[in-house]
Amino acid sequence: MKLIGREETERVQDENDVVSLCSMFAGGESFGIDTRKIREVLGKRELQRVPLAPSMIGGVVPYRGEVLTTVNFRALLGMESYSGAGCVLVLDDDEDGERFGLAVDEVGGVVTVNRSALEANPTTLEARCKWLFDGAYKMQTGLMVQLDPRKLRPSRLTETGLFRQGTNGRDA
Amino acid sequence: MDDLTKEFIAESQEGLDRMERCLTELETRPDDGAALVGEIFRAVHTIKGTTGFLGFDRLEKLAHAGEHLLGSLRDGKLAVTSELISGLLRLMDGLRSILVLIEETGGEGTRAGDEDGELIAELAMLNGSAAPAPADALHPVSAVVEIAAATPVVEASGNTSAATHAGASSAASANDKTLRIDVDVLNRMMNLVGELVLTRNQMLQSGMEAANFPELARRLDSVTADLRETVMQARMQPVGNLFDRFPRMVRDLARTCGRDVRIEFSGQETGLDKSLLEAIKDPLTHAVRNAVDHGIEAPSERVLAGKPAEGCLKLRAFHQSGSVVIEVADDGAGISMERVLAKAVERNLVTVEQAAAMSEREVLQLIFLPGFSTAAAVTTVSGRGVGMDVVRANVEKVGGSVELESKVGLGTTLRLRVPLTLAIVPSLVVQSGGQNFAVPQSALVELVDIPLRELAEVSQKMGSSEVYRLREHLLPMVWLDRLLGMEGASRETPKGYYLAVLEADGCRFGLVVDDLMPPEEIVVKPLSTVLREIGLFSGATVLGNGTLALILDIAATAARAGVKPIEETHEVVIADATAQAATDVSFLIFEDRARERTALPLNVVERIETVPLAQIEYAGGRALLQYRGELLPLTDDGNVLADLEGIPSGGEDAVATVLICGNAGEAGRRTRMGMVVRRVLDVSTGAVLDQNEATGEMELALVKEKLTVVHRDFGTKAAAAWKEVA
Repeated sequence: MKLIGREETERVQDENDVVSLCSMFAGGESFGIDTRKIREVLGKRELQRVPLAPSMIGGVVPYRGEVLTTVNFRALLGMESYSGAGCVLVLDDDEDGERFGLAVDEVGGVVTVNRSALEANPTTLEARCKWLFDGAYKMQTGLMVQLDPRKLRPSRLTETGLFRQGTNGRDA
Repeated sequence: MDDLTKEFIAESQEGLDRMERCLTELETRPDDGAALVGEIFRAVHTIKGTTGFLGFDRLEKLAHAGEHLLGSLRDGKLAVTSELISGLLRLMDGLRSILVLIEETGGEGTRAGDEDGELIAELAMLNGSAAPAPADALHPVSAVVEIAAATPVVEASGNTSAATHAGASSAASANDKTLRIDVDVLNRMMNLVGELVLTRNQMLQSGMEAANFPELARRLDSVTADLRETVMQARMQPVGNLFDRFPRMVRDLARTCGRDVRIEFSGQETGLDKSLLEAIKDPLTHAVRNAVDHGIEAPSERVLAGKPAEGCLKLRAFHQSGSVVIEVADDGAGISMERVLAKAVERNLVTVEQAAAMSEREVLQLIFLPGFSTAAAVTTVSGRGVGMDVVRANVEKVGGSVELESKVGLGTTLRLRVPLTLAIVPSLVVQSGGQNFAVPQSALVELVDIPLRELAEVSQKMGSSEVYRLREHLLPMVWLDRLLGMEGASRETPKGYYLAVLEADGCRFGLVVDDLMPPEEIVVKPLSTVLREIGLFSGATVLGNGTLALILDIAATAARAGVKPIEETHEVVIADATAQAATDVSFLIFEDRARERTALPLNVVERIETVPLAQIEYAGGRALLQYRGELLPLTDDGNVLADLEGIPSGGEDAVATVLICGNAGEAGRRTRMGMVVRRVLDVSTGAVLDQNEATGEMELALVKEKLTVVHRDFGTKAAAAWKEVA
């Protein structure tokens, strides 16, 4: 009994300063999102484009009886669109239940990092990235930028007005 | 509140609903009222019996007084008079308000009993006054009561109706959340779910490659279809549930407004999704109230106008092309265009110049403008007026539409058109810019194929906009890919285009798309706020092939493309009438016998279907087709079926072209029949040449300078054929 108890407290301690991130890639850079915020990784999916939608909306995908609005991560960063089919992650926000997708180039694996190793954003970062990024972890292969799923919510993105640089197509 | 009380309240409310229905019916035909009185008596008696042991003294006392009166009525001691009915209705209101009180507070209020004293006295008076002098001693008492009761009763009628409304709304709020389902339906649902689980297990175990996989997939398909239908069925409620409240309302209203109104129903059994039923309750109530208040004139005016003193209000519900239409028709004064216009000008809704240029249809549309309707407008304009904008908004919220038709002196008809269910919409799937879009079939008027080589001929430029000449009418063309900013994304060499003629909110336009896909019944999935804000898509759906399609909001598309409502509908209404008289009629031309051109008036052809030969069945030497739950007799004058079957290569894949023809038969029922034809040639106008007596039901016409045989009177023929089959 005592043993189990000790194990549990150790685990709780672990959870406090260790966080597991799911790594993903977009345009050669690597990013991480807390695995607890990820509902599912759908894998490579062809997005159904929505005409006249803001450019950061990559399209929609069917997901368990719902139509999921998917944010194109490359478009958020102002990068060229990806040549192949992107990987779609389903992110779930407990607060108001808005479920949405995020399309990135590739999804890596789960990385466990120590929370204390998080470095703040550099002050020279441009406004959009500053808003999106939550700092970075120094990994052996380079930096992994932490993202906050709450800020990636489509409704939040439109509210900020930072990403309103035109639509998918020309307005008629 | 304990379960027993809850159950009692639900049961009593149902009993009172029944009582209400019976009472109004009793008033209209008092002679054969024995069964009705029995029913009412039982309702009140049940309440009285149950209250006794639940300990609601006040309710019991009132119910007892009512029961006593009803007892006399049942025994034939009393005649059915309008006062008696009023008294019983007030009894019902009284019982209902106590029930509401119990539901809200758990108690029935004070037990002094004197709040109901007046009503009980009135009931006793009704019982006593008509009974042949039971005892002299009673007389003075009832006389006093008469005086005491007579005055407050008139005033009270306002109060009680207010109370009923409050009662009705709170009762409705409890009803909103619960639904009575037939246990059979529930059992069937459970069975189907079990079947679904079994099929899933088998599929998981056998895997994709298994030999019986196609069979399992088919089973899954049929189970899903059955399950869907059963769930839909469970949600379906007869429209009659909604209609039941109107006799009472109309009666009360007619009394306060000094009208003489008879209410007629038809199609109560028409089923409608529960949520939709709730959604149209208020608009419909509004429409009925308007009809009685402003539509139907006072009896004296009616007599002067040469109409029977008693106005008639007709409530009709029926299915029409995938939606349910609920019609509120009165035979009142109709809407005076001049007065509507005067009002609209006065309220600065339109300028005088605009008003002068307006068509009748546009004028009627003014009534739906917010701001048109105020209390003042209602009394001065002899039409409908109160909050028609709200009526329209409510109906449109659930994907329906409102139509108004009015003839001065003859009456007004308001049509609420609502989809059968919110979740599943029959749609046409179109392709444009390499993407699929779903277009609700309810908005679709017709489809036109435009081969590329004809594009230049049929589409003409007027200024910057393109129009299509559709049977001598100009139709604005809207290119979907251009509208959505997807030009260039479409395939390289289009073989041609399709023009979907759509109508929404009185706007008619042609939507040009690259390709058509088979129509599907789609399940509507909501879009996230960000995508809703675009304003063009009402949702998305997953198509049968697994891809997503966005659902186009036709009204919004029209607005985005700048299409304005045009005055075409009244011409359509007249078209049916004139088509018979005028010599120029639109025909659908086809070939049935070899080398002979035959035509049908276009307005009788509902659809053109291609049917696999295997689906055509035979009974008694007659070809029949099961079509949308109906059994259609097929006529095959040219022996097309026999010829098709004779083709050896055709085999089971052979298809026949069938024209689905409908004609309003006797009693307004549409009789349908199918006509097997070799091929459909064209739609064109032509002049009827000559009635050929020898051929009986046939006429000859000149269509495009070619002799064509025209089928006429086929409706009666179909009916006759139908009888033979039956």
